[in-house]
Amino acid sequence: MKDPRGFLLKVGATFLSLLATAVSAAYVSAHVKNPNAPLQPPVLSSSIRPADVQPVTTTYAS
Amino acid sequence: MRPELHFHAMGTTCSLFGDGDLLEGERWVRRIAARITRFDESSELCELNAAGGRWVEISRELEEMLRASLRAFELSHGLVNIAVLPSMLAIGYTRPLVAGPTAPALAEAHSAPYLHNVLQLRRGSARLAHSARIDLGGIAKGWMADRLSELLGGHVLVNLGGDLFARGEWPVGIAGETYLLRDVGVATSSTRKRRWGELHHVIDPRTGLPAASGVEEVSVVANTAFEAEVFAKTALIGGMLR
Repeated sequence: MKDPRGFLLKVGATFLSLLATAVSAAYVSAHVKNPNAPLQPPVLSSSIRPADVQPVTTTYAS
Repeated sequence: MRPELHFHAMGTTCSLFGDGDLLEGERWVRRIAARITRFDESSELCELNAAGGRWVEISRELEEMLRASLRAFELSHGLVNIAVLPSMLAIGYTRPLVAGPTAPALAEAHSAPYLHNVLQLRRGSARLAHSARIDLGGIAKGWMADRLSELLGGHVLVNLGGDLFARGEWPVGIAGETYLLRDVGVATSSTRKRRWGELHHVIDPRTGLPAASGVEEVSVVANTAFEAEVFAKTALIGGMLR
């Protein structure tokens, strides 16, 4: 082996890369997002509905 | 017969419906309005505007409204900015509009500063940069509608000049239609009101001039009247996506 120091550096770098990949994979596997989650939840759909009655008041610009 | 109470405050009509001590509600509105008006030099807001960059002791209510104003600035990406008062004065909105606007000096209108750079808050006190002036405007009405509905409790509808919160279920008119609202806030922002000639009171903080987005009126239903006010004004100033 002509350059044992360079070889060790390459082995170390490779090991660190593989370790980072393994740790990242473990992390994302443990934090799986729900793929069925809606992009945006329904907004206030149960809090507002049309009505056929006289309003008690109105919103308006003042 | 449903209890209801109507009165004039903050330059507009206020209406309270439902449970709770509505008269105490009116007194609360008048008390807070007196602290935050920019048309009375003895108000807390005017003292803060005139403090010349010094820390000023403020009430809990004003502190909460100022914190809400900083949040509104963030939610709107800077389009809702209470530091537009110099521009409001420049367009002639120097006194209550029942007395009429004064002559505009549009050359003095300028873009508003980044709010977080000029407004600092500590518990019970605030500091406004020497060069900055603020006007709470619609933010105050939205915040007050939310807070008053909490104070009154029960089944109550608070409408402060069009910024309203419905606690429990209430039929409310929005843009000519009636909707049953439950535990939500509503606000309408418009350039059609408080208008004189080509000028109106909704300032675009990017230019310091009345907003000219092409949108004239926006109504928003949101979780709170404060949020509805912020989103309505953001849409009015920002305009439609193109």
